[in-house]
Order: sequence, then structure tokens, then C-alpha cells
Amino acid sequence: MEIRDWRFWARLAVTAVFLLPLLWLLTAALHPVGRPLPTTLSLSLDFTLDNFRRVWQLVPLGRFMLNSLLVVILAVPITLVVSSWAGFGMAQLPKASQRRWIVLSLAVLMVPGVALWASRFFLYTRLGLYDTILALIAPAFMGSSPFFVLMFYRAFRRIPVAIYEAARLEGAGVLASWWQIGLPIARPTAVGVALLTFVLYWGDFVSPLLYLRSQSRYTLPVALQLLQQLTASDWPLLMAGVLLATIIPVGLFLLLQPYFARLGG
Amino acid sequence: MRKPLWRPLSYQQRLRLLLLPYLSGILLLVALPALLSFGLAFFRYDALSPPTWLGTLNFLFVTTDELFLLSVQNSLALVILPVPLRVMGAFLLAILLRRNGRFLGWFRASIYLPSVLPTAAYALAWLWILNPLYGPMNLLLQAIGIAPPAWFADTQWAKPGLLLLSLWQIGEGFLVCLAALQDIPSTVEDAALVDGANRVQRFFYLTLPLMAPILLLLTFRDAILTLQESFTTIFLLTGGGPYYATYTLPMLIYEQGFGLLLFGAASAALWVLYALTGLIVLALYLIARQWQIGTTEETFVL
Repeated sequence: MEIRDWRFWARLAVTAVFLLPLLWLLTAALHPVGRPLPTTLSLSLDFTLDNFRRVWQLVPLGRFMLNSLLVVILAVPITLVVSSWAGFGMAQLPKASQRRWIVLSLAVLMVPGVALWASRFFLYTRLGLYDTILALIAPAFMGSSPFFVLMFYRAFRRIPVAIYEAARLEGAGVLASWWQIGLPIARPTAVGVALLTFVLYWGDFVSPLLYLRSQSRYTLPVALQLLQQLTASDWPLLMAGVLLATIIPVGLFLLLQPYFARLGG
Repeated sequence: MRKPLWRPLSYQQRLRLLLLPYLSGILLLVALPALLSFGLAFFRYDALSPPTWLGTLNFLFVTTDELFLLSVQNSLALVILPVPLRVMGAFLLAILLRRNGRFLGWFRASIYLPSVLPTAAYALAWLWILNPLYGPMNLLLQAIGIAPPAWFADTQWAKPGLLLLSLWQIGEGFLVCLAALQDIPSTVEDAALVDGANRVQRFFYLTLPLMAPILLLLTFRDAILTLQESFTTIFLLTGGGPYYATYTLPMLIYEQGFGLLLFGAASAALWVLYALTGLIVLALYLIARQWQIGTTEETFVL
């Protein structure tokens, strides 16, 4: 090893620190049932998958997971369409209009989520959305977050206006040029927005807490709270549940990792 | 052939039509509820019977509650120390992982990985990690000869516990810093190298000043988010305890509203949250104007 390689070792050390919580989570979830938890730092090689089976017996985890999957399957595509439409429209408006939309988007970003809890609760009750999956995915119909709209706006604005003009002269409508010209060029942005949206809805704890009543409609985050209340101090059991709620976003992220690795070359 | 039942829309009008779902969503899901919650502060409302006018009584009620002042203090304490640490951490990591090397993609992915965990799962994982008796963190501290604190069971250590776990979720700031570092023209760096500037000089006289605007914006964005959105973690980890050591403004608003059905009082407390957010935004605006940071390009990174 060369001395210059200090950078590599520093990177390795930092990475190890960042992966440590996940490693701890994993070892707790795989801890053998009935064996007392260690009180000194030790690495046992005795692992079990029993905790996952026990979680499944204790709560209808399959049901919760399906609910969560349904939420993201609906919310992610809707968010992608609405936010990319808005970004696409914004990018081609006159400069002054662009500025107004930016200011509006930034203003909406400043509104605290807390401010909307109670009044959205009244609104959903009034509209008959309370205790339905629609209450969980409603924000997707506004693109979930102005942040995503601005991300798309940024990406679409980089496309030279001449390209849109050419398409228009060839008779392409707004939707055609969005689908055939805009989206393919903005693909990295779309992947990023999709991942962020997935994480946002998969991890949303507040909406199901406030807008759901029936346990059969619970998503994983509130199911974890349920598990926490049921298990008291059965840590391996709770950590098995935590791990199950974590696997899908982590897997998705690792799948999309090449997109992020290219960031900044 | 389409029959001209109505005048066909021009391209510009169709473009604006694409913005319609976004706009109507904002009006229905943000503007309307936000106005409603603003107005509710002047009423007594329990979601069961019709609201009754209270004038400014809710404000009096909330601000004289001794938990209120405590919650504002706690909220600010959980912003002032953690946020600069998080931004500095993200920045230093971005510098370390800036240039090519073996496994660079995987190293960067590992830094970002904790940020994709669902908040509830992440919080509960740390409830285990920081468990005073069996938690691996305390076992580790013991092994290296440090007397381990009781974390969320101790009023002194509950806030540092929250600070600690927030340090692993800095993926977004990390990515923003990485992207901004790439925007520094290599000619500037080359010139500094030719002039014989060493590593430390290049950092303090070149990288840091060029990155300062981004770091500032990240700090403010993180401050606003932390102030407003720290609810889930605290709700699951401490419930505001022990002895209200982690009782923040969002916790108070939640309990007043959904706990005690005092939605008017909750809205009055919300005004304070708006005011604090407004102060942060104002400071950001003033500094950004001072530094001549464009209001177009940089803000979109965030």
C-alpha cells in the first residue's frame, strides 16, 4: 500500500461508521430467541431467522406491507406525472411567469407540515377520505412537494428551447413533447424524484397516524408503533420488524445506486 | 378532423394546463388548510361541536402554559447545535469523497444509505442502539472505557441522544455538497496549485469561500425542516420525555389538537412556529441579498 492511500482508508473508516447502525440493527434482529441479550460487546455467530416468523405471527405484517406497497405504487407514478408536468410547463413559460411559479413553490415549501395536520383532517373527513388510502396519497396529486417540481423545472430548463420549437413545428403537441423529448432527457431527475417520493410515502408515519382508524389499512410505519407497544422489551422481535420495514427501500436504493454514483463524476 | 366545438387551445395555454393539477393541489391541500389553521386560532373548536369565537384568548392560554415556553426552548435547542454539525459533517464528507478512487460509488452510497430508512424504523432502531442496558452503543462505550450515559432515560442526555442519531441522516446535504463541489471550475484549482498553495490553504482560501453560499442555504433549509418535522422521531423515541426534556413545539401542537381536542389552542401555538420559520427565512433572505446570491440558480439546488 502506498502512503498516498490514506484517503482510501479514511473513506473506508467513515463508511464503516455509517454502516454501523445498520449492522447493529441486523445483529439484533438475528439474535437467537430466548437467549439473554449480551451485556458486553461481543459478536456471536449464532444467528436465527425465527424473529421474523414471530413478527409475522404477532401482527398481520403481510397485510401492512401490502398496504404500504399499494400506497407507493399509487403515489410514485402520480407524483412523477404531476410534478414533471408542472416542471415542464414552468420551464417553457415566459420568464416573468416562471419567476412567479418559483416564488409560489418556495412559499409552499415554507409551510410547516404541522400546520396542515388538523385542517387536512377536517378536510378529509368532510370529503369522505378519512380512513381511506386516498388520505395517505392525496399530496401526490399536487406532485407531493414543490421541491420535486423545482427539480424537474431545473432539468427541463437545461434543454435548449430550439428543440421544443422544432418539435412544435413538426406538429408535436404539449403532451407529445413532454413524453418524447422532455422525459427521456430528464431521466436522471425522474429516477431521483421517484426514489425520494418512494422514501417519503414508505416512511410516512404522520398521515396514517392521523387519518386512519382501521388497523386493516395500516401501513408499515404505524405497524411498527403497534409492534413497539406489543413487544415491550423484546428487542430482537422489534428489530426484526424494523428490518422488514427497511429492506425494500434499502434494496431499491442499492438497485438505483449507479445513478447516484455518477453524481458529480 | 376535430370538430371546432370550442376554440382550440394555443400551445401556451396547453402548457399552463399542465400546471393546473399542481396549482389546484396547492390551493386545496396547502393554501386552504393553512388559512383554516390560521383562522382557527381565534375560535374554540373540538371537531365535534361548531366553533365558537374566542378572540385572542387562545393565544393567552397557550403562551401562559408553562410547557409552551419549554417547548419553544427545546425546539430551538434541537436546531441550534445539531444543524451546523450536520451541515459541516455533510460538507467534510463530500470533500473526502469528492475525487475518484476505488469503490467510490459504494462509499458514497453507504453515506446516503441511512437517509433512505423510513423515519419510524430509523427511530426505533436507535431506541435499541441507545438502550442504556443492552444497547450496542453503550456496550461499545463501556468497552473503550467511557462511562455510558442513560440517553433517553436521563433528562441531561435525551437531547444529545437525538443529536447523535440525527448525524447519520445527512444524505441530502451530502449530495448537494458533492454536486456543488463539482461546479467549482478546475481552472481555479489549477491556478492555485501553480501558485504553490498547499492543501490547507486551498481549503480555506478557495473551497470554503466558494462553497459558503451553499452551506448557508443548507443550514437554513435544515433548520426549517428540523424545526417543523422532528415530530415522528421524538414521538416514537421519547414521547417528549423524560420530564419534557424533548418536548418540542410540534409535540405540543399535536397534543393540544389531537390529544385534548383544543384545535384552537393548537393553532395559536402554530402561529409561533410560523413566526420562528419566518425569522429564519428573513435571516436567509437578508444574508443572501448581502452576498448577492442569485435567487434563481442556487435556491433550486435546495
